Amino acid sequence: MIPDYIEPRVAILSQLRRMESGSKAAGLPELPSPVTHAEGASLAKLFGSKLEEISGSCDILDRAADVADRIVELVKDWSAEDGDATADTNDPQPIEVLSWSPKELPLEGLKGFLKDSGISLLVPDDLHDESWRARAARPSIGLTSVDAAFASTGSLVLAPGRGRSRAASLLPLRHLAIVPMSRIHPTFEAWLATLRREERLSSYLRVSGQIAFITGPSKSADIEQILTLGVHGPRTVHALVFDDTR
Amino acid sequence: MPELTNTRPRVALFVTCMVDNLYPGVGMAAADLLERHGADVVFPEAQTCCGQPAFNAGYRREARMMARRFLDIFYPRLDDGLIDAIVAPSGSCVAMVKHQFPRLFTTKEDADYLRRARRVREVTYELTEYLVDVLGVDETGARFPGKLAYHPCCHLLRELGVDAQPRLLLAFLKDAEIVELLNPEECCGFGGLFALKNAEISTAMGRRKIRNLEDSEAEVVVMNDVSCMAHLNGLLRRQRHPCKAVHIAELLDGSFDGDGEAGG
Amino acid sequence: MRVEVRAPYRTRVRQALADEGLRDALDRATSHLSERRERAMAAVDSEALRDQARAARNHAIEHLPDLLEELERNLLGNGCQVHWARDAAEALGAVLDIAQQHQVRDVVKSKSMVTEEIGLNDAFERSGIDVVETDLGEYIVQLAGEPPSHIIAPVIHKRVEDISELFQEKLGIDPTIEPADLCAAARSELRSEFLLADMGVSGCNFAIAESGTICIVTNEGNGRMVSSLPRVYVAIVGIEKVVRSVEDAMLLWQLVSRSATGQDVSVYFSMSSGPRRRGHTDGPDEMHVILLDNGRSRIMERGYGEAMLCIRCGACANICPVYREIGGHAYGPTPYSGPIGAVITPLLEYDVTAARELPFASTLCGACRDVCPVKIDLPQLLLDLRSNVVERGATSRLERTAVAAYGKAMRRSRPYHSLARLARWFGWLALLLPPLRAWSRTRGFLRFPSKRFRDLWPERVRHDEDRTAE
Repeated sequence: MIPDYIEPRVAILSQLRRMESGSKAAGLPELPSPVTHAEGASLAKLFGSKLEEISGSCDILDRAADVADRIVELVKDWSAEDGDATADTNDPQPIEVLSWSPKELPLEGLKGFLKDSGISLLVPDDLHDESWRARAARPSIGLTSVDAAFASTGSLVLAPGRGRSRAASLLPLRHLAIVPMSRIHPTFEAWLATLRREERLSSYLRVSGQIAFITGPSKSADIEQILTLGVHGPRTVHALVFDDTR
Repeated sequence: MPELTNTRPRVALFVTCMVDNLYPGVGMAAADLLERHGADVVFPEAQTCCGQPAFNAGYRREARMMARRFLDIFYPRLDDGLIDAIVAPSGSCVAMVKHQFPRLFTTKEDADYLRRARRVREVTYELTEYLVDVLGVDETGARFPGKLAYHPCCHLLRELGVDAQPRLLLAFLKDAEIVELLNPEECCGFGGLFALKNAEISTAMGRRKIRNLEDSEAEVVVMNDVSCMAHLNGLLRRQRHPCKAVHIAELLDGSFDGDGEAGG
Repeated sequence: MRVEVRAPYRTRVRQALADEGLRDALDRATSHLSERRERAMAAVDSEALRDQARAARNHAIEHLPDLLEELERNLLGNGCQVHWARDAAEALGAVLDIAQQHQVRDVVKSKSMVTEEIGLNDAFERSGIDVVETDLGEYIVQLAGEPPSHIIAPVIHKRVEDISELFQEKLGIDPTIEPADLCAAARSELRSEFLLADMGVSGCNFAIAESGTICIVTNEGNGRMVSSLPRVYVAIVGIEKVVRSVEDAMLLWQLVSRSATGQDVSVYFSMSSGPRRRGHTDGPDEMHVILLDNGRSRIMERGYGEAMLCIRCGACANICPVYREIGGHAYGPTPYSGPIGAVITPLLEYDVTAARELPFASTLCGACRDVCPVKIDLPQLLLDLRSNVVERGATSRLERTAVAAYGKAMRRSRPYHSLARLARWFGWLALLLPPLRAWSRTRGFLRFPSKRFRDLWPERVRHDEDRTAE
């Protein structure tokens, strides 16, 4: 039996092909050349200041251990600010942070360290399950790492995977992103060009099902062109950059 | 661009139908300027209209007939070496000849007209473009005691890329204070038949231009097309406004010195 | 609603021009957006970028059937389901079928002009399915029961006071004119919608053929949400949205960001290639892509392929001096307004009278062509549309007669002189009668001088000859 979609498909394609085809193909456009040739710590600084320019924020830390400490600080400060009732009472519940699996975060022993500081990582199995969904909707902080970050725009790029929920960088009010320095690139054009040369670009997109470029906190200027943050996505995007080459 | 030789270049004046019938003074001023600054001017008397109003309204058949007539009048003089250039005191009419004439001649029967159109457009100029780029004029000797603003007409600015030339000529005006309009490149709202078919929007746009004129404190706004000028003067007069719109030819040849009626 | 989109054109224009509040809002918003665009384009080699962008879009339009097949192949390979729709009815049928299969009761939507074009929301409502617009501006116009009035800034015509009143009425919030508070209210309302919805629907900014990827540009994050949270995700893709490569999509992403809002890039760029993979925490279980024609292939066949290059940035509307005076609703019941709207609304045959009116709602000033990131020659397209209107015989008899008479007068000397004489004597009278009365309602009479240039010229020549003879 001919599938229902065949007739419209054939009709559209044959109409398009009936038209006289035009001129030769245009060559692949050259991408704008990389903005900077910086590397390492100076590149990280450029990334940080660009992120701050677009209403994000950034810490640049020396060692992995500093990152864990800073996470604790930020989570506690934010919880207090956001009025998280579990923050400090006589019988404190751990503060829940919606997170990627610790295996996907580039810090050893993070889960245990945070647990000792009264912070628990909520790593949902399946967000189409009602109870997981309800739980995942509560934390005001989300924790992820990134596939790459770009200094020219202050962007992060994330691909979902096992233990790498989309929700962690999307639902909570605050997004905390751990960014190893080795994953910071000058421009996304240069990074894509590398993937292209290694013939991995197309499969990078296809394998994960969704790639998200995130450039700062959620914004809208729909109301009289006045900028507001956190319309649907996170209101805070905070990058924790550390030197993972040591 | 024709090389200037020791003999004076011969210019056929393409006066345009609006200037011919409504603002003959502008045509006179254009001829005076050209002659004063080194060209010999002839006026092919059989000329009428380039066909732009019909073309813009979508009537390509009529526009084509008028374009053929235009070429029948001007091309032979060019081909016979009787003229070196065609000059008009209007940006939109020149744009019509240069950019739209070739579009009108697409069939085999019109192949000759296409060829003529392509030849003609190489030597067709707007007035200030010709004065500055070919005759090398900067100082015209004209004076204007007061504040003056320049409104760049859309076709002149965007289709012909002519902007530096009129501004140069104005910069050399004696005693004048040239002030800049807010958003000077915004359309005044004439737009050909738009002024009639969408008169309310046309009026709103013209009034906005006049508000910007007021804010600039200029007494006079000068431009290169009588169409825009008629539209703005029409609004100004109805508002009994002290400002005036004037064509650059009359300003530069001295026939408008701030007091008289513009476009006489 | 101050401008009734279903009223006749003349009425809409009059209503728009009479609405001071609207014109004030339009003024501020369009100049703000235009300034931002200018700054963002001045910061890069904009000419080179525009040329590259045009080349990318041109290539896609010129190779459309092959690229669409490649897109389909890769989407299917990624686990998507692909549907082809010749017109709005087929597209709606496909979407509603999917909704029925999954017993969908609640839908969340991100901003999409193409879904407005096919009337998706109405179709959902008629089937008893609840649909919520999640883009803040679209959410506001949905609450207000209005169509959007600008391609990228749907609520450009409203002031904060209007929005506050609306939220107070529909959401029961406390009175406030703080945009941050209004946004927080919308965030809260829409958060539960996102989490409960059965289906997410989006349009598509770019569809990458080589990888089978649907790209969505947003600043708010609702694009990511509708394509990640509900079980079923449907993307409706106009066939002209396809691009060849990832690089083309990334280039056009930057162009649309700079041209639309003056940002280097939008906050979110979601590139969805398929449903969630095994073992992933979230993502839709099913991803459907609907490839929609709805007149696009016919537009290209008629020679208007240039109009299909558009990447929907809205820069043309922001710079257009006509749009600034009348706003988007004056263009009628179409999601596409401004210069590009004046071209594609008639071509999509959106509303029968649009072809006779919209192409003439322009002075052909060319400002739009100067700002278009893909260098579409909009004035030329409008001129082509105007000649189509004339060819079809859709202009008034009075106008055709007048143009024919003018044409005759301009072609032969005797009629020309007669007409000129008539004009001199009776011109003032003509200005009192329609259609010329349209001039004289607000503008002073044109005076026909007794001597034309051609009458004065021989006198001048004689005068010169006399002088040289002395």
